[in-house]
Amino acid sequence: MISFVLNALRTTVHNIKANKQVFLMSVATITIAFTIQGLFFLVFVNLNTLLSTWDKQVQLIVYLDDGISKGQKNVLEEIFKSNEKVDSISYDSRDEAWTEFKNTFSGKSGFVTDLGFNPLPASYNLKFKDDPERLVNIRQLADLLKEQKGVESLEYGEKWISRFENFMVFLRVFILAVGGILSVGLILIISNTIKLSIYSRRDEFDLMLLLGATHRFIKAPLLLEGLVQGVIGVGLALGIVKLTHIYMKFNFQGSLESIFRGVDFQFLTQPLLWAMVLASIFIGWVGSFLSITQYLHSTDRE
Amino acid sequence: MIQAFNLHKSYGGVAPALMDVSFTIQDGEFVFLTGQSGAGKTTLFKILFGWESVDRGQVIVDRINVGKLNESNLYTLRRKIGVVFQDYKLLPKKTVFENVAFAQQIIGADRKTIRFKTWDALKNVGLTTKKDSYPPQLSGGEQQRVAIARALVNDPQLILADEPTGNLDPEVSLEILELFEKMNQQGKTVIMATHSLEMLRARDHRLLILNRGRMVQS
Ligand SMILES: Nc1ncnc2c1ncn2[C@@H]1O[C@H](COP(=O)(O)OP(=O)(O)OP(=O)(O)O)[C@@H](O)[C@H]1O
Ligand SMILES: [Mg+2]
Repeated sequence: MISFVLNALRTTVHNIKANKQVFLMSVATITIAFTIQGLFFLVFVNLNTLLSTWDKQVQLIVYLDDGISKGQKNVLEEIFKSNEKVDSISYDSRDEAWTEFKNTFSGKSGFVTDLGFNPLPASYNLKFKDDPERLVNIRQLADLLKEQKGVESLEYGEKWISRFENFMVFLRVFILAVGGILSVGLILIISNTIKLSIYSRRDEFDLMLLLGATHRFIKAPLLLEGLVQGVIGVGLALGIVKLTHIYMKFNFQGSLESIFRGVDFQFLTQPLLWAMVLASIFIGWVGSFLSITQYLHSTDRE
Repeated sequence: MIQAFNLHKSYGGVAPALMDVSFTIQDGEFVFLTGQSGAGKTTLFKILFGWESVDRGQVIVDRINVGKLNESNLYTLRRKIGVVFQDYKLLPKKTVFENVAFAQQIIGADRKTIRFKTWDALKNVGLTTKKDSYPPQLSGGEQQRVAIARALVNDPQLILADEPTGNLDPEVSLEILELFEKMNQQGKTVIMATHSLEMLRARDHRLLILNRGRMVQS
């Protein structure tokens, strides 16, 4: 067993040395493909973080009719309190809203204070509990409140959040599709590299079969070669993605933070990293498996 | 050791390479296989170690029905057989030593065994002084002896030697013949394909004769 493994390793190194250029070309291709995929993932991960940051800041603001009655207000408050997903409720009377508004804009523009009347409605401000389903919860409550008397309008930035969510779904599908196409391409490339590796030393492989080598014995070093290509390729690709991440962070962290407070440039998540490494191993393995199987079935008798 | 029934093999040419070939070889026999060039000797060998399939007929080698093997278990048959190929099939980029050791590596022998057995096999054919040369640097006869050493290194029960003395002068040929006879005395079954009348006359071994694909004496 040990000699089997050692032999496989030695043969792999030998194969790679004998076919250095083809090997390097193949590794470069894998690197490029995985870099593309990795950069897509990087964009995706960061947009996702942004989305969930926004998600957290979403509140439901219920604007009230100016002529809302005490009873109607009580009904609304009952609805808020009986909803388990609601974390906190605060009430802004028309006067409070107006004062706040004036404070915010005081000095910046004279016209608001000259208005002479208060144009702002009173509102309830609902914060929701942390929950992956937060947006759904908000939507459900909003649908219920829309029907209530005394409610003038609702606001929770739903339009652009759901638009953004749709975009993320699209991006996910897009990345998966690109990943699928790249994977198929890579499998073909690796299988061709291994095929060249086999054909350049066909006499030796034929001789192995003639002398009674098992298929396992012949396969092992070639599978290993495909695997090594995959692993080196993905390693380099992740290195490049990491460098890009560092570069972005170094140069744009400041401006990012000034736009979205508390948002950091994220690197790929652990599951994504593992997925890429496993994918490369899988691709390397399948690629070499295909060409070896083809060779072994073409040689033995006809 | 070998039972062949009505073997028929055609490569698609005008005449088939083998027609209705039947014969039996007992364990421990020494047999000459002869016939003109193109008679089908190499083809018969290829069928015995499973490199070519037959169109009709059956062949059993050491209780294995060769036609029933598939690609992934053919190796069980091939490990019983040591073949000296007519064209040697040496790897030009490996040294003499590595070429012989190759047969050992392939069956998964450990390093120590490989070194010991390879040395032993080279000693048997008198090539220890050339162990670090590469095949293209050797004479035809020396290459032939490397091929013989490789066929013997795994201690096979059956030896198929395809013109193993084709390139050797009579004196060395006789030495090689004696080497195979020594193996035979150790209990191995030997089939030696040869054109050499001298060889055939020198010994009184059983003779199989092929003529244009037919077994005319067995
Ligand atoms: N791979 C092949 N494809 C097509 N025809 C073949 C093939 N191998 C052998 N033949 C044909 O089969 C016949 C038998 O060939 P074979 O090599 O068995 O003869 P042989 O007895 O070994 O001859 P020699 O003494 O010259 O080695 C010949 O007519 C040859 O041309
Ligand atoms: Mg021949």
